[in-house]
Amino acid sequence: MNDSLSIPHLIMNASGVVQAVMLILMIGSLLSWVVIFQRTFVMRRARKAHRRFEDRFWSGVDLNELYRETPAEQETQGAEHVFRSGFREFNRLMAKTRSPQAILEGVQRSMRVAWSREEDRLNLHLVFLATVASASPYIGLFGTVWGIMGSFQSLSLAQQATLATVAPWIAEALIATAMGLFAAIPAVIFYNRLSAESGRLLGKYEDFAEEFHSILHRNLQGRTDAGAD
Amino acid sequence: MARQDRRVGYGLPLLLAIGLHLAILVASVLRFPDEEVAPPSTSIVQATLVSTETTTDQAQRAEEARARADARQAEEEEEAARAEQEAARQAEEVEEEAARQAEAEAEAQRQAEAEAREAARREAEEEAARRAAKAEEQAREREAQAERRRQAEAEAERIRQAEAEAERKREAEAEAERQRQAEAEAERQRQADAEAERKREAERKREAEAEAERKRQAEAEAERKRQAEAEAERKRQAEEAARRAAEAASQGLDRAIEGESDNVANARQATEAANSFITLVRRAVEQAWVIPPNVPAGAAAQVTVRLGPSGELFAASIGQSSGDGAFDRSAIQAVEAAAPFAELRQLPTAVQRDYRQFNLRFRPGDIR
Repeated sequence: MNDSLSIPHLIMNASGVVQAVMLILMIGSLLSWVVIFQRTFVMRRARKAHRRFEDRFWSGVDLNELYRETPAEQETQGAEHVFRSGFREFNRLMAKTRSPQAILEGVQRSMRVAWSREEDRLNLHLVFLATVASASPYIGLFGTVWGIMGSFQSLSLAQQATLATVAPWIAEALIATAMGLFAAIPAVIFYNRLSAESGRLLGKYEDFAEEFHSILHRNLQGRTDAGAD
Repeated sequence: MARQDRRVGYGLPLLLAIGLHLAILVASVLRFPDEEVAPPSTSIVQATLVSTETTTDQAQRAEEARARADARQAEEEEEAARAEQEAARQAEEVEEEAARQAEAEAEAQRQAEAEAREAARREAEEEAARRAAKAEEQAREREAQAERRRQAEAEAERIRQAEAEAERKREAEAEAERQRQAEAEAERQRQADAEAERKREAERKREAEAEAERKRQAEAEAERKRQAEAEAERKRQAEEAARRAAEAASQGLDRAIEGESDNVANARQATEAANSFITLVRRAVEQAWVIPPNVPAGAAAQVTVRLGPSGELFAASIGQSSGDGAFDRSAIQAVEAAAPFAELRQLPTAVQRDYRQFNLRFRPGDIR
């Protein structure tokens, strides 16, 4: 009598549909937590890397030197990725054309591509978190409704409806909703937090791209002036 | 540099997530059974007392009796006051008449007094008869005796008076005759100067007669007064006796009522204490009861429990079997495990005896 209302007992005794719903919610909760942990680590690491790169970039180091510090085949991330793709494009175009307009356009395009890749990388799986956050309450509600339907069907077969006969059914039906909320609430909270974080980082990358663009523009301007002289 | 491990893998987050879920699951599994145990089971053992009766009815009856007695007492007091007034007035009249009139009137007065006394006595008797038959009987007997004695005395007095009166008259007549004869003789003997002598003699005799008459009247007066006083005294005594009888009767009733209401209060207190005792016993037995497995749903057993004077268990026997031997045994074992019931000693001594035997009804309740 005592353990008939404990949560594992209720889960084990639930009907198949409700059990399936609870399994889905369990998996959803598990995966959303995996995403939460993984994204949190990624964001923290990206933030640190960005701070480190900016310090290095603005320390007055020569851009060629900075570019050559990292081997070409190594994949870079964040603002460094933007810088490398832009600087590589700049060097390539410098050898082929003399028009500063064409060079700047090419650099800008390449940097936009890099930024877009960074955005894609940062926002990876955040959509899954949003899906879990919005869908799992409905899934849990479905399980509850199904369980209560079952309880009323069995109630119609019973001779007399006491609270004791209805209570376990209702309890196991309500567990589905509880699990849905259990999955959804952390997902909502961390989705908001992580998407704000990634938005802030992308904003920083964009600012850096603009600053780098203006540096390149200044260099080209000096060179064309010198070439004209 | 830090760039070497830029990639964040999924292994660590997966481990963390699984660990988190397992922790939550374990927490819920460990916590919930404890919480489920905590709420106490509903009353599955019912106790019924074998020998106590409610006292509420008696209490009601006592209250009614008390109200009735109060009303009657007020009425009776009023009547007594009225009778006293009446008696006082009559006594006054009687004295006036006694001062003015002769024995015939005294007779009438006595009759009137007797009537008044009779009326008062009847009233008193009626009231006394209504409340306490015994006291009233005694009072009436005493009354009757006093009355008989009083009547006898009055009769003797009357006879004595009449005799004295007749004697006095006879003496006076004889003397007058003798004097007349002497006069006639003296007249016959001394005719000349006897006239003056005779006149003087007659004068003297008349004076003597008047004197005697006056004396007699004074005596009669005194006698009448004494009689009236004695009469009043007797009347007062009779009234006193009647009042005493009535008071005794009403006091007896009051005492009876008080005793009854005391009994009622005691009984109520005892019932309260006994209820708490029964509750304690029931709880103890419930806690000690180990319900055997596979009990049929509607099983119920009644165990008759007899206790010793200090609450120790004398006997626990099945009064009404559930049909399931194991179930019956478990009930008896529960009672034996819960004994002794030392709370019995805290009951009022008067009711301890009543609570030394009671029935306990065992029902497993609706266990699924």
